[in-house]
Amino acid sequence: MSMKKFVVASASIAAVAALTLAGCSSRADTGNGGEEEAAGFAADATIGVALPDKTSENWVLAGDLFTNGLEEAGFTADVQYAPASNTVAEQQNQITSMVTNGAEVIIIGAKDGAQLSAQVEAARDAGATVIAYDRLILNTDAVDYYLAFDNFKVGELQGQALLDGLAAAYPDKDTYNIELFAGSPDDNNAGVFFDGAMSVLQPKIDDGTLTVVSGQTEFDQVVTQGWLAANAQSRMDTLLAGNYQGTDLDGVLSPNDTLARAIIESTRSAGKPLPVVTGQDSEVESVKSIVAGEQYMTIYKDTRALVAAAIDMVKELQAGDEPSGINNTEDYDNGVKVVPSYLLDPVVVTKENAADVYADDENLAPLTQG
Amino acid sequence: MSDTSTAPKKSGGIRDLGKMFGGTSSAGRQFGILGALIVIIVLFQVLTGGKTLDPNNLINIINGNAYVLVLAVGMVMVIVAGHIDLSVGSVAAFVGIVVAQSMFIWNVPWPVAMVIGLALGAIVGAWQGWWVAYMGVPAFIVTLAGMLFFRGANQFVGNSTTIPVPRDFTFIGGGFLPDPDLGIPFNVPTLILGLLVAAAVVWQEVRLRRNQRRMGAESAPVWVSGVKVGVLLAVVVFATYLFASGRVGTSYPIAGIILGVLVLGYSFLTNNTTIGRHVYAVGGNWRAAELSGVNIRRVNFFVMANMSVLAAVAGMLWIARSVSSGPGDGVGWELDAIAAVFIGGAAVSGGIGTVAGSIVGGLVIAVLNNGLQLLSVGADLVQMIKGLVLLLAVGIDVYSKRQGRPSLIGRMTRRRTTGGDAGDAPQGTQTPTPSQGGAAETARPSDLTPQG
Repeated sequence: MSMKKFVVASASIAAVAALTLAGCSSRADTGNGGEEEAAGFAADATIGVALPDKTSENWVLAGDLFTNGLEEAGFTADVQYAPASNTVAEQQNQITSMVTNGAEVIIIGAKDGAQLSAQVEAARDAGATVIAYDRLILNTDAVDYYLAFDNFKVGELQGQALLDGLAAAYPDKDTYNIELFAGSPDDNNAGVFFDGAMSVLQPKIDDGTLTVVSGQTEFDQVVTQGWLAANAQSRMDTLLAGNYQGTDLDGVLSPNDTLARAIIESTRSAGKPLPVVTGQDSEVESVKSIVAGEQYMTIYKDTRALVAAAIDMVKELQAGDEPSGINNTEDYDNGVKVVPSYLLDPVVVTKENAADVYADDENLAPLTQG
Repeated sequence: MSDTSTAPKKSGGIRDLGKMFGGTSSAGRQFGILGALIVIIVLFQVLTGGKTLDPNNLINIINGNAYVLVLAVGMVMVIVAGHIDLSVGSVAAFVGIVVAQSMFIWNVPWPVAMVIGLALGAIVGAWQGWWVAYMGVPAFIVTLAGMLFFRGANQFVGNSTTIPVPRDFTFIGGGFLPDPDLGIPFNVPTLILGLLVAAAVVWQEVRLRRNQRRMGAESAPVWVSGVKVGVLLAVVVFATYLFASGRVGTSYPIAGIILGVLVLGYSFLTNNTTIGRHVYAVGGNWRAAELSGVNIRRVNFFVMANMSVLAAVAGMLWIARSVSSGPGDGVGWELDAIAAVFIGGAAVSGGIGTVAGSIVGGLVIAVLNNGLQLLSVGADLVQMIKGLVLLLAVGIDVYSKRQGRPSLIGRMTRRRTTGGDAGDAPQGTQTPTPSQGGAAETARPSDLTPQG
């Protein structure tokens, strides 16, 4: 072998060997392995926020509020939305990326709260605090806190509002025909809303005041997969065609505004008179609908209040304190442990009080004028 | 030593290096998808400030994408045979929910549940394979029907709810090798694994040269072999070091080991067995293959059935990773697998493609996805970028073929003299082995020897 070839060969092997040995350090001890110690963390730490989708206005608003609020508080915000396809897998990847980026607190609005256990545990092992935002994360003990509006109360308010609305709309009737709708079965909240509503409505169904004409009263009979409007609309079409040819439909329990509008659309295209329909989320189109007298009520869960509460929790954790707003340590059992919860109070909104409730909401206040 | 009549000129030392990659001119243009992977890794390593090659991040990439890569391994054979399989996501989800239910509700022990899952995959595969091979219905239609059917079956079995999976099963999707404390700051089983892979790489090269000498074929000069082995060893050592130095308790993930075993097994199958060769023959020109005596029905049945079994494996890896089976599982996985295969160099018309190539393609998408997420790029932009990357990757490959020069992957899989390496390190080292591919688009009947 010629000298030149030998030199070239050995130089290349040496270079390659040097590259591999360069920076040989001892085992990367990334993260503090779950130190419980409330020693707090740096004031400019990365805070990760994983949101499920952009299908509801709430989430879009929440994302912006988190970005602005966290940056104002001096943190580095890492806010990510899960995509519309392969959502759960991408949300898992986003959470692990936040851990890799060194997030100290990870706030998760889960797409499917039961499929994140492994990633949440990995986050805990890396020393991050995990806050379940609005949707409980199930089957793992690595969730530190749950922050949401009191969803059971939301259901109760919806049930009660339905009764009030029926009494107001049909003062000369004493029995009413209703139908029930629930949210997506993979969203833990859907069950909570439904249970809350049924706690108020079931006694009335039992004593005959309310009749569910289709007979569909079990949760899995009334779910709307993916919270999709299209699914609610087609179910309503089928119910009307099958059960209401000669009967009147007086009221519908709808878990949120998107489904409420789909249900109203369905009754309109079937040529039926408008029933009393409940909702939730105070979406712009539904507020207009309420003011116009179509949808009966919605729930106001001020996303700003929820995001502000989350950011306050982050600040307290940064200072090394326990979050002070925890007000429920019994009800939210995620299958492995009862998660300490910080619950905010929802507000019922009907045409009568809409102007007052939305007075300082810049998007919704103008809709209630005139 | 080298036969001087065919060796390059004496002063062409660097040209020998180019010969190592299969091109006698501008090796740069031929760098192809493997180069793209390396470029992407380096790019994101720089952009994310070193987090891409962080050991824990690499472990996350493997765990988070093992299920798609397993699908890509099966999908490449389907595409090489000239078909496509759109049902893999739904089949994976269906098997996942059945396995999850069997463990959670009927309390079946997890090894039995795994066997049930594989058996179910085989049954689904036999069903779809029968329709494609023996009834002659195009695979596109059969698997489209399968996609709808098994999506519904998944929701029927699981009632559209999420079913948790017992923790002793989850090790296949998120578990690690044992991490004994032997006083050194690395994970020992991973080091042993790396050593085995390194030894395999060296042994392969030695065996190749020995075979070449025995057959009287031309071998590259010793120093070229030395450099090639050196580079591969460096990659293996680097990868081993990275995987062994993750957080305490982690190692090269078990999902990665399962993937590695499958890749090695299927590489061997496609390159060194009769059935593998028949798959390429059927894909290249099925009429010619039929006339040559290949049983095309059996080949078609095999690739479709095999794909569903691998879909079952992918489904089980997924539910192990997610610790539960959900109603949204499997949606869109077939497209990710198909994208990985085409980025890895397969031809739309069939007959061309390798397992190693599709793994490299899958890793390109995985690293891209991971890097963009580390940079907090929104998921919508990530989707757009993935679409463009797929288009460009295949476009460049088609373009370079049209110029008369086969793609790098095609080159690597064609050449007997400088190829023949089956060592497969986790970061997508090439496994160039002799097989039909490259520019041999019109296979002459009964002549399946690669062109020199």
